[in-house]
Amino acid sequence: MTFLCLLFVMSGLPRSAAQGVPPPAPDQPEQLDEVARVGSVMVDGDLCERIVTQRALTYMFEVDPRDRWAAGDNYDVDDAPFIEVKKTLLRHSHLVPFPADVNLWMPIKGRPDKIRIVIRNTHEMSQLWPWGALYQDMIPQMKTVLETGERITVTEKPGWISVLAPVSDSLGDVVGVLEVVTQTQSDAHANVK
Amino acid sequence: MGGRSANAKQHRRTMIREITNRLGLGFTTCLGLCLLAAPALRGGVANLRAYPEYLRVDPFGQIVLADRAAIGTQAAGAHQGQGRRSISLLGARGGYVSFHLVAELSGDEGYSLELRLAPENSGIQTDVYREWFHSIQNAKGYYPDALIPIQLPYSSRLPEPDNRISGQKAQAFWIDLWIPPSATPGLYHGRAVLNAGRNRATLPIELKVLPADVPERDVVTVDHNSYGSSWLGDQYPGLAEELPDFYSSDAFFHLIQAYHRIFYEHRGVFHQLGYGHAGKVGPEFAPALAGAGRNRHITNWDLYDRHYGPLFDGSAFAGTRRGARPIPFVYLPINPEWPASFVNWGEPGYEAEFVNVVSEMERHFREKQWTQTRFEMFFNHKKRYMGFPWDGDEVRFPKDIQYFVEYARLLKKALPPDTPVKFVFRADVSWDMEQQFRELQGMVKMWISSGGILSWYQGAARMLQERGDLVWYYSGPPGVNEASATISKFPFQAWLWSVDGFVHWLAVDPGQDPWFRLVDGTTTVVYPGDRFGREEPIPSIRLKIQRNCLQDLALLDSLRNRHPLEALKSEAAKRYNNSRLENWWNPRPPFADQPAFEWTNTGIGEATSRTSKMLESIRPDAWADVHAYVMQLISEAP
Repeated sequence: MTFLCLLFVMSGLPRSAAQGVPPPAPDQPEQLDEVARVGSVMVDGDLCERIVTQRALTYMFEVDPRDRWAAGDNYDVDDAPFIEVKKTLLRHSHLVPFPADVNLWMPIKGRPDKIRIVIRNTHEMSQLWPWGALYQDMIPQMKTVLETGERITVTEKPGWISVLAPVSDSLGDVVGVLEVVTQTQSDAHANVK
Repeated sequence: MGGRSANAKQHRRTMIREITNRLGLGFTTCLGLCLLAAPALRGGVANLRAYPEYLRVDPFGQIVLADRAAIGTQAAGAHQGQGRRSISLLGARGGYVSFHLVAELSGDEGYSLELRLAPENSGIQTDVYREWFHSIQNAKGYYPDALIPIQLPYSSRLPEPDNRISGQKAQAFWIDLWIPPSATPGLYHGRAVLNAGRNRATLPIELKVLPADVPERDVVTVDHNSYGSSWLGDQYPGLAEELPDFYSSDAFFHLIQAYHRIFYEHRGVFHQLGYGHAGKVGPEFAPALAGAGRNRHITNWDLYDRHYGPLFDGSAFAGTRRGARPIPFVYLPINPEWPASFVNWGEPGYEAEFVNVVSEMERHFREKQWTQTRFEMFFNHKKRYMGFPWDGDEVRFPKDIQYFVEYARLLKKALPPDTPVKFVFRADVSWDMEQQFRELQGMVKMWISSGGILSWYQGAARMLQERGDLVWYYSGPPGVNEASATISKFPFQAWLWSVDGFVHWLAVDPGQDPWFRLVDGTTTVVYPGDRFGREEPIPSIRLKIQRNCLQDLALLDSLRNRHPLEALKSEAAKRYNNSRLENWWNPRPPFADQPAFEWTNTGIGEATSRTSKMLESIRPDAWADVHAYVMQLISEAP
C-alpha cells in the first residue's frame, strides 16, 4: 500500500496539476479502491471465463491478409454470463457518487504477453484501453495483479484514476482484473462514436 | 521543381502549336507570332478558360491525372483543347449549372476576377468558390476539392498566399449558377473578366434556361453520416477555445445546424449518431433523465430542444434556396443503456424505464408538432467494442436477432397506436440481411444495407418497399484522387436498383491536416470553414458533383410518365459506362445458403466482384454523358 500511495503522489497529482487537469477529490482514490475491494469478492471468475466464445478466441490472433476484419467479425460472446457479470459491474459502479466505470479485463490462455478488455460500461472510461483493440500487450500493473492478487492504483494518464483488482475463480486462481476507473474532469463527448 | 519547369515549357510549346494549327499558318508565320508573343509570355499572361465540371485542373494548369481519361490521354499538357475560351450551358429551373473557371497567369502576380451573367431581376444567382489545391498523401500532384466561398470581384495573387504552392500558374474557381424556379426560360449572356497588370482576358458565358423544373424532392436520398460531436471542437479550435462552454453554446448548435444546412442545400441529409458502443450518450443528443425503475423520467429538454428544435420545425433552413423544411430523418439516442439502464435488462424495471421515457418523448414531439421527421431507433453497437452482448449493427450471429424483437415490442408498448409522430425502427444490415428481412418483418421499417450483399438480392428492395419499408444502401465517399465522376456511382446505383437512398458512412472527417496533407478524402465531402474565418462547413467539388447528379436523377425519374422507367434506366446505364442493367447485380452465391457466420469477407469480395470490377474505374465524364441524355430529354417538347 505504501508503494501504491507513493505511486499516486509521485505520478498522479503533480502531473495533473501541471497540465491543468484538476486533481481528484481527496477521497476519490479511496472510494474507488473500496469498490475494487468489494468487486474482487463479488465478481464470479468462473462466470467471467465463460463470456468470450472459443470461436472469438480462435480468430483473435488469426492473421488473414485477405480478410483483415476476420478477428472482429468473429468476436462473439455468450449472452448469459456476459449479462450477469455486466450487471454486477454496473451495480459496483453505482457505489460511488461520481461517474465511474468498472471494466472487466482478462488474460489470454497461452498468450501471457497479451491482455484483453471483456466488458466496458456506461461512461466508456478506461485509462488503459486503446479504443477498438480486441487485445493488447500485457499491462505491467495488470500482470502484477494477476500474479499477486493485490490491488494497484494507476494514475499514469493525467486526470485518470484506475484501481486494478483481481477476479478469482472457484479454485482460487486469479482469472481476471477489474478496472475501477474515473476521470477528475470527465469529457461528456469522448467516445460518443 | 524540374518537373514543374518542364510542364511550363510544354505548356508554352502546346500553346504555340495550338495557335499555329488554328490559323493554319506556316513555320515562318509561326516564328513571327512567337516573336510577337514573347514579350507577353515574359511580361505576363492572363488567360481565362472554362472546363466542364468533370475536368479538374491543378495549380499548374494541367488536368489532374485522375480526370485525364476523359480526354483520352494520361499525358500532362494534353488539356489544351479542353479549356474553352467561352462556355455555353444548359439547365433546368430549380437547379444548378456548374463549371470550372481557371485563371492562368505567368505566376507571381496579382489579379482580379469578375463575373456577370444575368440581370438581377432574372433571379439567376452566381456562387463562386476558390478551389483549394490539396497535396494528397500517396498520390502524385495536387488535386482541388475544398471550395472556399468568395465574393466578386475577387482579388488575389499567384501563388495564392494561403495555399502556398511554389510555381503556381493557375487558380481554379468553381462556378455555380442557381436557376430559380421563377426564372424565365431563354438565353442569358454574360462574361468573366480577368485582369492582371496590363493584361486582361474575357470569357463569354451563355446560359440557356429550359422550361423544365428540377423536382424539389429527390428520387434518391443521399445521407451523410457522422458520429458524436467532439469532432466539431477539433475542427473549429478557435471557437472551442473561445467559448468555455462550447458544447452547450448557441455557437455550437448553430454549427451543427450549419452542417445540416450545407447537406440540405446540396440535396442531401445529415445524420449525427449521439451515443457510443457502450451506451454513453452525448448530452445534446438526449433529454436529461433522473430516477430509476418506475420513477425514471425526463427532467430537462433544454439542450435537446436547442439542438433539434430548429431542425424539426424547419426554421434552421430559413433563407435557404430550397426553403425551410424539417429534417426528414434523425437518430434517437435509444441504445441498450438509454433510456433504460442495462442493469435492469430482462427485468420489469427495464421495460418501465424504456416505456416511461419513450412515451414522454412521443408526447413532447407531438406537443411540439414535430411530425415530419422520422425518429429512428437504431442500434449501432458491436460486440467487438465490449459494451453489450449482441450486435446492433450488422448482425452476423442469428441469435442476436432476438434482441431486435424485444426492442420492437418495447417501442410498440411505448407509443400510442395512433401517434402522428414518426418513430421508426431502423437496422443496418449486411451478413444476416436475408434472415433479418424475413424475421423482422413488421418490426424494422428502415433498412440500411451493405451494397455488396444487397447486390445478390435483386428482388429484396421491391419486397421491402411493398410492405412499406425504406431501403438504403451504404458505402463511403470516393477519394479526391479518383476520377471526378466516381461519386455519381452511388446515387446512380441506388436509382438503378430502385432503392430509396444511399449513406456515406462518414462524411465530415477530413483528417488531421486536410489543407497540406490530405489522406485521400474518403471520410469527408465537406471541410471546416474555420481556416477561412467561417463558423460553418464549406463544400467540396465532390459534393457539388453529387448534387448535380441528384438533380439529373430527379429529372430523369420525373420523365417516367413519358418513357418507360426501365428504358430510361437502360439508356442511362449504357451512357454511363456502357453497361446493361443486369450488370449492376451479382448472382447470389451458393455460400449464401450457409449461416452468415460461416461466410468470409474474402468470399463476399469474390461474390461481388462483377459489380465491383465494373465500378472500380469510372470515366470522369461518365455522368456528363448521362447529363447530356437528361438535357436532351427535357429539351424535347412534352
